[in-house]
Amino acid sequence: MATAIRDIPSAPTVSPRATAARLRARRRAHNRRTAVVTAVLAVFLLGFTTASVLLGGVAHIAAADVLPAALGLRTGLADYLIFQLRMPRALAALLSGALFGLAGALYQRIVRNPLATPDIVGISAGAGAGAATVLLLAPAAFTSGPPLAALAGAFTLLGAVYALSHRGGVDTYRLVLVGIGLSAVCTAYTNYLFTIADQNDLAVVMRWLIGSTNGADWQGVRTLALGLAGCLVCTALLYRPLSGMALGDQLATGLGTRVRPARAAALLVGAAAAALATSVVGPIGFVSLISGPIAGRLVGGERALALAPLVGAVLVVGADVLAQNAPLISPVPTGVLTALLGAPYFVWLILRRRHGAVS
Amino acid sequence: MTTTSPPVATSPPPARTRFSRGAACMVLAAVAVAATLIASIGLGSRHISPLDIVHILLHPNGDLYNSHVLWTERIPRTFLGLLVGAALGASGLIMQALTMNPLSEPGLLGIEQGAALAVVVGILYLGVTDLQGYFWMALTGAALSAVLVYLIGTRTNTGSSTIGLILAGVALAAVMSSLITLMVVRDDAAYAHLRFWSVGQLTGRAAVLDDVLPFAAAGLLLALPLGRTLNVLSLGDETARGLGVPVERARLAAAAVAVLLCAAATAATGPVAFVGLVAPHCARMLAGPDHRWSLPLSMALGAVLLTGADTAGRLVIDHGEIQVGVMTAAVGTPFFVWLARRRNLVRV
Repeated sequence: MATAIRDIPSAPTVSPRATAARLRARRRAHNRRTAVVTAVLAVFLLGFTTASVLLGGVAHIAAADVLPAALGLRTGLADYLIFQLRMPRALAALLSGALFGLAGALYQRIVRNPLATPDIVGISAGAGAGAATVLLLAPAAFTSGPPLAALAGAFTLLGAVYALSHRGGVDTYRLVLVGIGLSAVCTAYTNYLFTIADQNDLAVVMRWLIGSTNGADWQGVRTLALGLAGCLVCTALLYRPLSGMALGDQLATGLGTRVRPARAAALLVGAAAAALATSVVGPIGFVSLISGPIAGRLVGGERALALAPLVGAVLVVGADVLAQNAPLISPVPTGVLTALLGAPYFVWLILRRRHGAVS
Repeated sequence: MTTTSPPVATSPPPARTRFSRGAACMVLAAVAVAATLIASIGLGSRHISPLDIVHILLHPNGDLYNSHVLWTERIPRTFLGLLVGAALGASGLIMQALTMNPLSEPGLLGIEQGAALAVVVGILYLGVTDLQGYFWMALTGAALSAVLVYLIGTRTNTGSSTIGLILAGVALAAVMSSLITLMVVRDDAAYAHLRFWSVGQLTGRAAVLDDVLPFAAAGLLLALPLGRTLNVLSLGDETARGLGVPVERARLAAAAVAVLLCAAATAATGPVAFVGLVAPHCARMLAGPDHRWSLPLSMALGAVLLTGADTAGRLVIDHGEIQVGVMTAAVGTPFFVWLARRRNLVRV
């Protein structure tokens, strides 16, 4: 017996050096994959953005006029269309998509449920209600009011949803249900404002119901760019605590992460990201829901959070190009297309997902 | 498992008590309906003194402006509100009983969006222009989306069909409202019409009353005898089968009545959320778990809720009014949140 045992080949002794080498190799492979995916997404983003500027919407500019105008060499109609209409629009789509993607990925990470994104939890509806209030009832504050009002609406709703779904801990599904309820009342309110709106304001206000990049201007692009920069910096600061929290609250606390402040900060950053994007382009539906899982499928694990904004940007700019140029249906609000894309995925998600699983 | 009603087995009160309690509730409900009726006819953004109103009611005279307002707008509108509210209340109660789901509600489950989608398809592609046509389109759309939501909602893995149904409803409502936008966004006339339809209101719908009446009345009459069936079904399929009830057929019949009521209501006023949620719960709280009492009570409470909300919406602001759909959302949301917070609802 004893010899028999000795004959069994012993488990391969793993030298620490070999383990480290294997881990390094895996990390390198992961890095390579991340780099390739990022590069491909960046190419898509560049392509869609260029297409958005070159193709534009209804008005067609001769191709010969586009390039000089884009380089600022010619003035006139082409110049106006490129610089005042198409470029802000394309950039607003890009930046808002990134913000939605970031917000969704943050929420999915914190609540550990792919369903708990800002639009499902009702933050987009709150932001839309805030922005619509200022636009329709206090048009004097038009220039700088909507983003601030959207932030206020989003934070109010976040607080209300969190407080109302808190009952000896926050259950994800209760959070989602309360969010659905509160967003119903916000949507009803926005709808009401919409019916008393002046016919001339309708095109502007419509964005707060469906989500559209139509009519985005440089002011909005500036807001979005500053917001995205701020939110990305905050996310970078939160990256380490969030990684710790992936191990579970207790272990993270043991490792020295201050879990509660980190979670609260992440919730606020996510709400701010969703609110800023909503304040400029309206609630473009389901982008925050699908960006995180797509990023997770592409690179997996920790890095999904960093990649989600890029995925969101590609989605919204792509949807925007389609919304302007697709045959038969264009022009439509961008949010219509993202909802048509995202809602079936949402259904698939609730059909496929095992209860309690962490995505 | 969440049950819509407290278990019937636990200490059933004596039959006579139940009867008198149910009867007392019905009397109170009848008083409330009468009070709402009077308030809705008597109050509005245009002030008409009570004496004038009595005079106008006794001596209809189309020439006077006040009389015109009363007979062509306020009175039909009031009856439409009562009818639609009763239909929504009954529809909500039947749906909740059938799905054993306290959050089932025509508006939340996306059924009203399905009706709206069908109406838009009818307007744009089938040349439907009259209200009868709208009604049949809404009925078809409501039935199709009810089946779809039910199929998806009961197959979810969310751990509870209660939440699965709601999530499926929200997702389908998003898809359907996108499709609606896709179709109407370039058609200004259709859009202008839909913008007001999609809020849910009774303003200017007085003409619809005649068209909806037969369908809603038929639905309500068909619903009234369902109380016993619902009682048996709520004992569970096995028990019901043991009692000799053809379960599948009974379910199908009750569901058909619920969809008919919901479609009639939606075709008349556009989507009005939360009436079908609040009225049945209040009815059960008042009358207890017996559906023979809670069903008519739910109709009465739905009528009071919708007409009351409409009347209040006319009075809160000076010029113009707040649509009834907005008012019911404001009333219904706290109720929904309260239900969602109940511990036994969310099974973890």
